[in-house]
Amino acid sequence: MSTRGRSELQINLATNIVIISMAMLFATLFMGYAIYRSSAPVWPPMGVQRVSLFLPSLSTVVLFISSFFCYQVSVSTKKNELSKGHKYLNLTILFGLGFMVLQGLLWNQMKSSGLFVSSGIFASITYAFTWIHFAHMIAGLVALLYLKKILRSETKNLMTKTTSVENFWYFLEIVWIIMFITLFVF
Amino acid sequence: MSGGYNEIHPEPTTFWSKYIFSFDHKVIAKQFLWYGIFFLGLGGLMALLIRWTLANPGVPVPVLGNLIFSGSGGVVPPDTYAMLFTMHGTIMIFYAITPILIGAFGNYCIPLMIGARDMAFPLLNMLSFWFAFLSGVVLLISLVIPQGAAAGGWTSYPTLSTLIGSPGAGQTLWCLAIFIFGISSTMGAVNYVTTVITLRAPGMGYFDMPLTVWGLWLTAILNAIFVPVLGAGVILLILDRVFGTTFFLAGASATSGSGDPVLFQHVFWIFGHPEVYILILPAWGIVSDLLSFFSRKPAFGAKATALSMTSISVLSTVVYGHHMFTTQMSPLLTQSFMTLTMTISIPSAIFFANWLGTIWKGSIRFDSPMLFSLGVVFVFGLGGLTGLHLGTTTTDLFLHDTYFVVGHFHYTMAASVLLGGFAGIYFWFPKMFGRMMNEGLAKLHFWGTMIPLNGIFFGMLLVGYGGMHRRIYNPFIYESLQRLIPVNNLITTSAILMGFFQLVFVYNFIKSLMSGEKAANNPWEVGTLEWTIPSPPPHHNYDIIPVVKCGPHELGNPNLKTGRDFQYQTEELVEA
Repeated sequence: MSTRGRSELQINLATNIVIISMAMLFATLFMGYAIYRSSAPVWPPMGVQRVSLFLPSLSTVVLFISSFFCYQVSVSTKKNELSKGHKYLNLTILFGLGFMVLQGLLWNQMKSSGLFVSSGIFASITYAFTWIHFAHMIAGLVALLYLKKILRSETKNLMTKTTSVENFWYFLEIVWIIMFITLFVF
Repeated sequence: MSGGYNEIHPEPTTFWSKYIFSFDHKVIAKQFLWYGIFFLGLGGLMALLIRWTLANPGVPVPVLGNLIFSGSGGVVPPDTYAMLFTMHGTIMIFYAITPILIGAFGNYCIPLMIGARDMAFPLLNMLSFWFAFLSGVVLLISLVIPQGAAAGGWTSYPTLSTLIGSPGAGQTLWCLAIFIFGISSTMGAVNYVTTVITLRAPGMGYFDMPLTVWGLWLTAILNAIFVPVLGAGVILLILDRVFGTTFFLAGASATSGSGDPVLFQHVFWIFGHPEVYILILPAWGIVSDLLSFFSRKPAFGAKATALSMTSISVLSTVVYGHHMFTTQMSPLLTQSFMTLTMTISIPSAIFFANWLGTIWKGSIRFDSPMLFSLGVVFVFGLGGLTGLHLGTTTTDLFLHDTYFVVGHFHYTMAASVLLGGFAGIYFWFPKMFGRMMNEGLAKLHFWGTMIPLNGIFFGMLLVGYGGMHRRIYNPFIYESLQRLIPVNNLITTSAILMGFFQLVFVYNFIKSLMSGEKAANNPWEVGTLEWTIPSPPPHHNYDIIPVVKCGPHELGNPNLKTGRDFQYQTEELVEA
């Protein structure tokens, strides 16, 4: 194996292990959710209103657009159009921040409709899952900022590092979509 | 594979970059070793306090009692007793065994044994130690806060661990400490897995790796997958305690859906059962290698040993239900978990037979690492056999939550890992520090550990079989258990004796560090890569990346013409 191939393999392995670890964390949360939901006689529990779909749907669209721009970053990097990649990266970060603002609005809306963190298992799950996802979004943003830094100059393994950061961002997107479907839609 | 990516990093020059925030895997390994030995001492002290209370309920603890428990006249108070056994378990598992076996040996042995100059990600490696350090500090803080440390058992089952069961910040800090430790473990795991896959010396296939590396590698894989499961569990527990969610509070409010305390048990054991193997696999690997090295024979069925360790790792992920037979599980499930648990005995029996096959007809050298390895064979045999009683639903229903369980998991997780760890320390000490440990004191330490150790843990099996429950402050308020007082006295006496002999180890360790005999490059005459370089190794380990031409256990070959009875991994294999 060449030196270059080896360091690419190392970066890919490390990213995948980190993603697997985080996937196990979220898988545990969803397993718990499945158990709560399947053992509850009705869902949402009696006296609890579903969360309005508007903000979660908007969040989904915004995060999807962010991921789309994120994909364009590696397309541009592959063609060695770094300034274009940079532009797409800024858009990715912008829409990512937009998603986070929407999450804040969502919590605000839930609170004002009387759904507090301590008002039972439905609220516990909705708040906790979105919080934990949000915390990972912060990590994802840090990764994007790191990418922003290395995209400026000729960096070793730039392409591998770009796809690694992207994969992490897609992972967060996928987790959100699963949450959107299971927590808010059904 | 070429050694290209294995570039030589410049040697650090300042004190801070050399000893504190070092990127060097050998320094990080030593940091983990000190860290682990410190917590081993603390956890051991807690064990002695627990044992004192059980053998002499209501009697003030000698020497230490008036210092620590001045409020109760030197007697361990009941709530403190709960904190003691909780913190003893937590400290021993996460802060003593994990740093020594995985942190120290993992960091030290993996790069050296596979012929690499460092880990794949040295910075991540350093962060891994400092996260562990932070976690240890959080845990120590929880010991001295007003309402005391966590007291819900090392498993922290709700409702014991919810705000109802344990008010105060102790349990929250416990969760936080475990979560930070989980991050540290995951960082380590990323490094170990990647390093083993990408940085093996040219010519070294997976089955040319020493079994030590196999054990550590499998451990790292299990770590990366299952530590986050506990992470999720403790996050939810923290949210329950701090933000008022109701994940683990049953019937908190019937109209809006209720939480489920048993869910935490599931989450805990989905992590917890692989964790058992996370702890024991490195010790298995070390022992598998040492038995071969000191029997001067190739490891019997080394490939089968590696594969059976692998299949145990896989199986360990699907048997966790045997910890929960008494939680009103469906009998269909208990039967399935029981059957799966029993299948683990097949690969276990394979490598156990391989161990015996390795020492069979060997010209055994009874040096201290070998004595400790043989000790592991004995205690792990006992531990494994008692596991069958607990994995079988019918007998487990009677033995559940008795001292039989405590005896069993101490034999497997504590005794064998401890002895395996000591074997490793005695074996690699010359390489780590460039000096030999005193062999006479090491042998004294072995017998002083081995004999009382069996007094303790076999005694626990006996009192457990006699019906003594695990977590009672004073079991002898029950008349039926009063006949167990003599055995409990034996256990406690043995524990004090064993504790005393650990001082011999500490003395030997420090004395040898200061003024031990200088170690040669290869004092044990074995052929793995780390013994081809000076003791202690230079900063970059290998001047030239070695090329591996044979397996790690080529000993006792009669056709060897070199005057040695072993060959290095860098030498062309001589046909036997």
